[in-house]
Amino acid sequence: MTVAASVIQDLRAVVGAESLLMGEGLEAYRLGDRIPQAVVMPTDDAEVSKSLALAWEGALGVVPWGGGSHQSIGSPPSRYDLALDLTRLNRLLVHEPADMTATAQAGIRMAELQRQLGKHGQFLPLDVSMPGLATLGGVLATRLSGPLRCRYGTARDLILGVRVAHADGTITKAGARVVKNATGYDVTKLYLGSHGTLGIILEATFRVYPRPDVERGWWLPAHDLGAAQVLANRILGSHLVPNRVELVDEVAGRVCGVSGPGLVVSISGLPETVQGQFVDLERMAGEFGVTPSELRNAEGAWTALSDFPWPNAGWIGQGLWVLWRGGVLPADCARAIRAIRERVSGSAEVAMAATVSHGAIRGRLGAEAPEPLVRALAAARETLVGLGGYLVALRLPEGVRDGIDVWGRPPDGLGVMQRLKAAFDAKGILNPGRFVGGI
Amino acid sequence: MNGNGLAPDTRTHLIRAFERIVGPEGVISSPDELRVYDCDALTFFHRCPPDVVVLPTSTSQVAEIVRRCYEFGVPFLPRGAGTGLSGGATPRAGGVMIVLTRMTRILDLDLANRMATVEAGCVNLWLTKAVECHGLFYAPDPASQAACTIGGNVAENAGGPHCLKYGVTTNHVLGATVVLPDGEVVRLGGKVSDSPGCDLLGVFTGAEGTLGICTEVTVRLLPQPEAVKTILAIFRTIEDACSAVSGVIARGIIPVAMEMLDRETITAVEANVKAGYPLDAGAVLLIELDGPRGEIEAEAVGVEAVCREQGCLDVRVAQTEEERALLWKGRKEAAGSFGRIAHHYYLQDAVVPRTKLAQVLREIEEIGARYRVKIANVAHAGDGNVHPMICVDRDVPGCEERAIQAGSEIMRRCIELGGTVTGEHGIGLEKREYLRLMYSPADLAVMHRVRGVFDPAGLCNPGKIFPDEDGPAGAEHSARHASAVSAG
Repeated sequence: MTVAASVIQDLRAVVGAESLLMGEGLEAYRLGDRIPQAVVMPTDDAEVSKSLALAWEGALGVVPWGGGSHQSIGSPPSRYDLALDLTRLNRLLVHEPADMTATAQAGIRMAELQRQLGKHGQFLPLDVSMPGLATLGGVLATRLSGPLRCRYGTARDLILGVRVAHADGTITKAGARVVKNATGYDVTKLYLGSHGTLGIILEATFRVYPRPDVERGWWLPAHDLGAAQVLANRILGSHLVPNRVELVDEVAGRVCGVSGPGLVVSISGLPETVQGQFVDLERMAGEFGVTPSELRNAEGAWTALSDFPWPNAGWIGQGLWVLWRGGVLPADCARAIRAIRERVSGSAEVAMAATVSHGAIRGRLGAEAPEPLVRALAAARETLVGLGGYLVALRLPEGVRDGIDVWGRPPDGLGVMQRLKAAFDAKGILNPGRFVGGI
Repeated sequence: MNGNGLAPDTRTHLIRAFERIVGPEGVISSPDELRVYDCDALTFFHRCPPDVVVLPTSTSQVAEIVRRCYEFGVPFLPRGAGTGLSGGATPRAGGVMIVLTRMTRILDLDLANRMATVEAGCVNLWLTKAVECHGLFYAPDPASQAACTIGGNVAENAGGPHCLKYGVTTNHVLGATVVLPDGEVVRLGGKVSDSPGCDLLGVFTGAEGTLGICTEVTVRLLPQPEAVKTILAIFRTIEDACSAVSGVIARGIIPVAMEMLDRETITAVEANVKAGYPLDAGAVLLIELDGPRGEIEAEAVGVEAVCREQGCLDVRVAQTEEERALLWKGRKEAAGSFGRIAHHYYLQDAVVPRTKLAQVLREIEEIGARYRVKIANVAHAGDGNVHPMICVDRDVPGCEERAIQAGSEIMRRCIELGGTVTGEHGIGLEKREYLRLMYSPADLAVMHRVRGVFDPAGLCNPGKIFPDEDGPAGAEHSARHASAVSAG
């Protein structure tokens, strides 16, 4: 469908000529084999609202766009007329250090948000991949998380409220700026992780936490994955309060400068209390014949682990790569990783890491040609499904997209989800076709 | 008031159908017995017995019951222990009540993954009791935890004193088996985290039983902390105590609980249970730390320093488990102790940003003076969650009305200060009209939309949460319904 010239004109009137991108600049907004016909870059909520109202009227397919860093997640859009670039809505609006809450616009980059919160010694404990590019809105729409979820939880636990633009341009709020709220439905949760298909997050209010005085990290090498899992279970079932407990295989281990398999564990707090917890950690590891060694470049390791498996550091070499995330029971991480390795070795290269506390595995599969890669991906998914889990493909290379549902089998309650989509976006203009079950 | 007057033959037909599903012993239909179910723990507001009560013992029975209701277009609502404080389990106008207290089993204790799956009628405290020998506990601890059910906790997104550090029910629920309002059974969430799809579990939790009936719940269990420390800090004024609350948080210390009791409450508590709170104090803070031993020792030093900086009169640390239990007894018996200072009271629940706590408490005092009612305050201070108790003397003409007006004004002020009208009790029947003060018609339309998706026929716990279409904005409407105030 070609967007009518009159609609383009109206959009230009809303945001101004310099905020409406057409022509060459559109390539940066490519998704698969599609580029939009125009990109709108609103500078305030009213411009978002009016742009959406026009898109609604013309039934244009709209893709909300933040940093673009994780846009490969999801199926390709079934319609893609407009990209709505939110990176100009990039302010930290309120930060109340004493309340430990803050409100920021969706288009702020995660690293910039952390920098500003850091002025008061606080941070938002969402250690996602590519924080220099990824925006708050994108992180929430995709519900990305990182290893720190072991201690702090995910966006589900941290976000207190949102302001959202709906398909027809209506703006609503959900939640409040307080840490406890039982007022009506918790609709905030619906926008988190629904990939912008129900509404576009304009701003979010969230809990912030004090930056710890120190965070120290250790490498706990294990004989094999199974031994690492047993040790992880011991730590997570104990009184220790680790920030991160990451199980890494040999290849993923290299990314953060260790030779796996084993565990990367970190503890934060006051210097003396961290030392106190470490003594207990060392004793527990000793029960399994493991000697922890302190990470020399802990900061570097955290960045690498958060980014994994995304190729931020440019470490992905030649060939074709699939990036994915999966879930299993916490105690099944090593089993899953070992089983996937056994199934795909020979046809594909594989690297995997898991946040053990939540059974959240992430990995990459690489091969020289599409066919073995597709087979490997199917085998990895089958393995996880066999363990009661799932696999979501985060990025597929050219040539392996056909016939693959990146989301896997339909989730329970899909009918309700589809009805929600119809109720929130009857014309299906928001990120059409990108989410589960064609939502 | 009787049920909604289901046509007698419909009622008879349904009773027979239910008896076939759950057996005759699982159906209650005599008026005397039905009266037991005419309200939850919000006793003064609105009472109405259901037309029939059914007590199923399995998910499939619940589904069958709901399907019958759906076929006949008869409203129904779930009920657990009936300990809710906002009327969520009170029939608005009769209908079928599905009571889950015969579904009490712990179905699965997965120690390796620190998760449990329980039936909805399982009592909150039973779960913690069942797992403590394994070094685990279930974190949400509402005041009614010895009676309330986990299914009810999910419906109300229950909190408790210890949610300052650990979060409320929604942060601990991983999955639920839900009977949708048309009788379809779906599994929302599960033991595996982050499975793809909309977060239906997230919106279901706290929906006060209006989006379906949960029959099984999977929750996360936490390892018990290595050590616990309970501190009583005594202050001359409420302001000083509030400053200490902010100061502790500003230091980066997150206690498991930080509870405040004002002078009125202290007086009532000491007259009742003698918890050892000093009668000359303006306010006390009950602060509990838990975690690795070294950690809480260091935090306790920080807490004490902050309290002294704020001019506290004394800091006492419980030295034994008995001392700790006694300090907590004072807090837990606070509501029950109000009988010592007033015959009746009206318990409120609201939240303000933590930094507005001192201001709102000062204003509550002024509001009390203006309406000539005594107001005592207990608060989950760390969360900014206040629970004003408005004392009522029914022998004084107009006192009840003034109490309700004072409550209404407190709600308004909390919203104006950036807060909400309920932190943990829910909207239920009681606070529906306040919703308009917090949310615009467009905001509420989104909630209506969600409701319409789950329950297009509007049969599942109707008349809750949402303001009546034609009702006036504000609290006066709610207040008119409040014909009497609860016994203290």
